[in-house]
Amino acid sequence: MKMKTVFRREMKEGGKNLLIWTLSIGLLGFFCTVLYSDMSGMTRDMTAMFANMGAFSKAFGITTLGLETMAGYFAVEAGTIHGLGSALYAAMTATVLLSNEEDRHTGEFLFSLPVSRGKIVAAKMLSLLTRLVILTVVCGAIYQAGFLLVGESVPAKEFISWLLAELLMNIEISAICLAVSAFGHTNRTGLGLGIALLFYGFDKIGRITEELEKILFIGPFSYAEAADIFAGNGIPVKAAVFAAAVTAATVLLAILHYRKKDLAA
Amino acid sequence: MEKILEIANLTKTYGKNRGVADVSFTVERGDIFGFLGPNGAGKSTTIRSMLGMIRPDSGSIRIFGKDSRKEREEILKDIGYMPSEAVFYDSMTVREVIRFAADMRGMDCSKEAEKLCERLRMEPGKKIRELSLGNRKKVSIVCAMQHRPALFVFDEPTSGLDPLMQAVFFELIEEYAAEGATCLLSTHVLSEAKNHCRHLGIMKEGRLIAGGETEKLTHTNAKRVRGTVDGEKKDYLYSGSTNGLIRELAGKDVRDIVIEEPTLDEIFMEYYRES
Repeated sequence: MKMKTVFRREMKEGGKNLLIWTLSIGLLGFFCTVLYSDMSGMTRDMTAMFANMGAFSKAFGITTLGLETMAGYFAVEAGTIHGLGSALYAAMTATVLLSNEEDRHTGEFLFSLPVSRGKIVAAKMLSLLTRLVILTVVCGAIYQAGFLLVGESVPAKEFISWLLAELLMNIEISAICLAVSAFGHTNRTGLGLGIALLFYGFDKIGRITEELEKILFIGPFSYAEAADIFAGNGIPVKAAVFAAAVTAATVLLAILHYRKKDLAA
Repeated sequence: MEKILEIANLTKTYGKNRGVADVSFTVERGDIFGFLGPNGAGKSTTIRSMLGMIRPDSGSIRIFGKDSRKEREEILKDIGYMPSEAVFYDSMTVREVIRFAADMRGMDCSKEAEKLCERLRMEPGKKIRELSLGNRKKVSIVCAMQHRPALFVFDEPTSGLDPLMQAVFFELIEEYAAEGATCLLSTHVLSEAKNHCRHLGIMKEGRLIAGGETEKLTHTNAKRVRGTVDGEKKDYLYSGSTNGLIRELAGKDVRDIVIEEPTLDEIFMEYYRES
């Protein structure tokens, strides 16, 4: 009952932000998808042009599938928008998830009520997870509407695998940012967004740098690259296992620390 | 008498900064206990330790006979806390905040909440962000009282409340106390403590420097003496007997003299100077 109350409040409070981000990401992806038919004459030339751009094309997965097919085009265009957009949303939301109470001085009210900090953290985490799932599912539905509108399709299995990988990536990023939130007394949204951008940059550079390519799997973007997944490569197991370990460790760290920390007045 | 609150040797530091040091006192059932001291004396640190918001370095706190750390959730069920800062979720209405607090207790407090809202002349439909400090304080009072707890903890409750609402607030406390509730009232307003509290604990620089019955603590033999003696303007606090004062003035050229009770502030300033 108490967890449900906290969960409901979190969902209500974060509802507007969720709607804005979901529609922004989803509609951007939708318009990219819809533009495919207009650009279909140009995609062959674009692929050829990008093929000569070496590292750039490799970093964005253009060389993996090309841009001539809907799957390849969608993976590069919408894949980038969704990947980066949802990661920024996850980071931003998770970084303030716990610190918000101290930053806005509402903690004195909330933590004087008869509910353990563990339950409050659990309810907040559940609301974050729910929001990430809603964003993923709704965006997925919007992209499907785009495919329907232009009479194209992408392989269903790969599409679902990609959305699942994006969701896992967002969970990992938000788990790391949750730890940031647990240790802070004020909101550090900039730091959270910086973490997401750093991971994105690491992934792009890692794909074109031989030395970094070996440790690319440590970054959350490594297993959610749309072009790789639509090419039928699936989600890399090594990276997914590492992500699960990072997620579990950071969530545990956040909970253990938050349960014992002195709350700022 | 049953002890509702027992604090023993409570010590808390914030890095190199002082919080509270070796604070010990007890509060009995039905008492209205005034926790008095200037800003930064350690009153809020003591209260926040009681409620489990911060972890003391050492010492123990027992509330309703239970360990405040191990049985925090159970203890909080029967505490009504009003923090010094009445801050709630901006986007919620007054009604939603009050309902949220009741839901978190798993209780239906609607009747008591309605009664309190009426007494405090509140507008439950208003958004929190539209409220003045005084009106937010009223929301805080309802949240602290609606479940009729056994122990009230008020941290600077009247700051921001107009005199009329201050009177209603103290009426409510007296009513709940008459039904057996206990109250810890943290304040730096001396008249509040003197007029409403049966016992006092006086804090200074993180330490409890005096404690006991309000009447005894506020009673003093000291006299404020003002006048012109031997051509000099005099204004001082005399702490001897009245006969001693008369002897002191005898033989002197006393042009005018006023001998009166010291103000409450002066009494407490004496405590702070002495300690």
